[in-house]
Amino acid sequence: MVSIKQDIRIGFYVCHCGHNIASMVDCPEVASYVEKLPGVVLSRDYKYMCSDPGQELIQKDIKEFDLNRVVVASCSPLLHEHTFRTAVAAGGLNPFFFHMVNIREHDSWVHTDRKEATAKAKALARAAIRRVAHHKALEVKQVPVNPDVLVVGGGIAGIHAALTLANAGKKVYLVEREPSIGGHMAKFDKTFPTLDCAACILTPKMSSVGAHENITLWSYSEVVKMDGYVGNYTVMVKRKARFINEDLCTGCQECVANCIYKEPKFTDEFNEGLGKRKPVYIPFPQATPQVVLIDPDVCLNFKRGVLTDKCKKTCVEACGDRKAIDFKQKEQFTEIKVGTIIVATGFQTFDAKRVLPYGYGVYPNVYTAMEVERLVNASGPTSGEVILRDGRQPKAIGIIHCVGSRDKKTNRWCSRVCCMYSMKLAHLLKEHTGAEIYNFYIDIRAPGKGYEEFYDKLNEEGVHFVRGRVGEVTDWGMTPEEEGKLVIRVEDTLAGFVRRIPVDMVVLATGLEPQADAQDVRRLFNMSCGTEGFFLERHPKLAPVNTFTDGIFIAGCCQGPRDIPDTVAQAGAAAAEAMVLIDKGHVEQEPNTAYVLPDCCGCKSCLPLCPYTAITFDEATKKAVINEALCKGCGTCVSSCPSGSIAQNLFEDEEVFSEIEGVLAD
Amino acid sequence: MVKSMTTPPATKKATVPTRSSDRPNVQRPGEESVPIMKMRPTIKYEADRVRGFGREIMSVPGCEQLQSCIQCGTCSGVCPLSIYMDHTPRQVMALTRADFKNEVLRSRTIWLCASCYACTVECPQEIRITDIMYELKQRAILEGIFPKRFPIPILAYDFSEMVKKNGRITEMILVIKLFMKTSWLAALGNWRLGIDLIKTGRFSLVTEKIKHHGDIARMMDAVDDQKGS
Repeated sequence: MVSIKQDIRIGFYVCHCGHNIASMVDCPEVASYVEKLPGVVLSRDYKYMCSDPGQELIQKDIKEFDLNRVVVASCSPLLHEHTFRTAVAAGGLNPFFFHMVNIREHDSWVHTDRKEATAKAKALARAAIRRVAHHKALEVKQVPVNPDVLVVGGGIAGIHAALTLANAGKKVYLVEREPSIGGHMAKFDKTFPTLDCAACILTPKMSSVGAHENITLWSYSEVVKMDGYVGNYTVMVKRKARFINEDLCTGCQECVANCIYKEPKFTDEFNEGLGKRKPVYIPFPQATPQVVLIDPDVCLNFKRGVLTDKCKKTCVEACGDRKAIDFKQKEQFTEIKVGTIIVATGFQTFDAKRVLPYGYGVYPNVYTAMEVERLVNASGPTSGEVILRDGRQPKAIGIIHCVGSRDKKTNRWCSRVCCMYSMKLAHLLKEHTGAEIYNFYIDIRAPGKGYEEFYDKLNEEGVHFVRGRVGEVTDWGMTPEEEGKLVIRVEDTLAGFVRRIPVDMVVLATGLEPQADAQDVRRLFNMSCGTEGFFLERHPKLAPVNTFTDGIFIAGCCQGPRDIPDTVAQAGAAAAEAMVLIDKGHVEQEPNTAYVLPDCCGCKSCLPLCPYTAITFDEATKKAVINEALCKGCGTCVSSCPSGSIAQNLFEDEEVFSEIEGVLAD
Repeated sequence: MVKSMTTPPATKKATVPTRSSDRPNVQRPGEESVPIMKMRPTIKYEADRVRGFGREIMSVPGCEQLQSCIQCGTCSGVCPLSIYMDHTPRQVMALTRADFKNEVLRSRTIWLCASCYACTVECPQEIRITDIMYELKQRAILEGIFPKRFPIPILAYDFSEMVKKNGRITEMILVIKLFMKTSWLAALGNWRLGIDLIKTGRFSLVTEKIKHHGDIARMMDAVDDQKGS
């Protein structure tokens, strides 16, 4: 026979959830069954327990019937546990004298037999009734939130998030891997659909980041370690050696002019390999910070990255009294403490070499879109003149959409921006060269403000749109007009036949994919990735910048391909979410934490098991100690303690066992 | 149609233009015989569909992916024979999915497919287009929908019969059979090639067989039985 303590007075409520539960579970029958269980004073069924009248009903009953325990059988605790705990607290009870039973997701939604489903609801309710009798009064603890924020990634997302927070008076650390902030946007020429110059709108933001008193900008740096919990993260940042003292360098670039290499001869990463740079260089004229760096792989003062000191060091002479050049600089590790983190690590473009039929890397006149961005850019390697690798000016150009997008062999997803940037490049190339431009597309996706109008404009400009995914690009001419050209073989699907179109230049609209090290970053910040490798948001619609780790937010293309307006909007949202925590000042901690009982023998077996490093060993008492602030209530230590001397709030042995007995009893 | 398959591709003729500004005079097979401006309704009514045909094809193992075709035209773009087709491979996919059985089975396309598998390799949706073409060819043969003396189904039939009987094919006998059943006049035009092939040992004068050729027949029958059931 079940023994329930004499003074236990349980109120039970079963919710219809409209038809969600009531259509598969006989709610009145469940209510009348539970009424007869020991300890139950009151049992009701109600249409919507989460509604205001439903909550008021609980509060009224607590007072009227002197209830000291409440059980609600309804939807998932994820949705309404908080609602009901608040209602119970408003009724004057400790909110942890409440227990919730999920008879929607666990029962009515997944069963088809009404009789069986009702029996299951009864069993689950019975288990909860027995469990709740053992519940103890618990207290919600508050932990202060460190007001400083770390923003990882200095692309447009990171820049915008950092500026938003800094303007609100928050201290921000902005960590960027490359020598300059700006990200991909700094490489673009114009932005669609308004065609305003990317540099003109980005560089003011970049310099305000550099000058902002609330922003600590660490370029050429990487986060290597993160510990802690929401509100109190400890982050280790590696500051890579750029062989320049950032505080002393004024960005005058005298060293660059006086480098022993008179002509630039090394691949310029910023110009996608289309231009050259020297061993000492600044990535691009508007780089922020305005600080040069030295590439030890090619600098004569190094050999294979190791300092040899064999160069004449004309750069040091040129630098003179400023003494900004420091060949002995080593990478440094700095530890910072922040409360919240915004991850905005961006994307990488698809490697066009992976699509063999398009001949990227084989035919010199096949370009990626990113290369063309630099080619049409006034500050690019050709000063904005479109000159092919063989020195000619193109008279016909083919732009192939969906390279590495919408393709099960490479990346399945639509990269969202390629249609629009292809049209932008079509416009710019036409403007620069007057060439005949063909766009080869599967579907034109122009769903933003002013985007469809841009498509219209392109049609009016006489840019050709051929609906068809290109089969191959070849230099094998079959007719005289094809000789010496690249021939695109494609089905014009709207006309219904195959065409061969000779062009001088092919542009591959490469898609967006996760950064190569996205998995490492994911592990570093304790986040999740979707199947395609982009960071996973907590909810695709209702929590798009939150992650499953509290206090860590995502913004921009690291979460999925998106254009600049969407990225900026998301970065603002992430900044706002961070400010919610900062301005509230504290986080509440669920009291489901583990605690050590006095009979701990000090075997230390729990210490290495804790995934949150919440357990330490007290040498004085020779017992394990759990830091409640760090404990997430996973229960690993509880189940692994060989002497059974760790217990956990809300999951006490008697609670769990009586629940099991309840569900198995008849 | 038969003529178009035996004459070399017409594009070759056009490689020597008279003036540099000349457009290549590419004459496509059959083009000259199309009557100009003859009016014919091209509209399709629901009654023209054979409902369930598409689903039937898509339920054949290997052909299921057709459901996810996005009509991008990559198959046609890479198909070396699409230049001769009345319907491009992409159109055949669309027609099949939309239940236009008669249009598909009467199309030249399914017979022109040379099973090079380029479409299957390049398809972004991983549709096994070549396999679908085979399935459509089989349907057409079963239903007898193809022109009289059309060489491809005849060749396919004789080929498999010969493999069933001997375990392998004897090219010369197969070719002679094909010419006799289709256009024996064409054989006369190719006699010199035949002699050359015999001389170089490419054509055998005797019927070639493998050991245990009865096993092949048993295997093929077993497959047929399974397909029938």
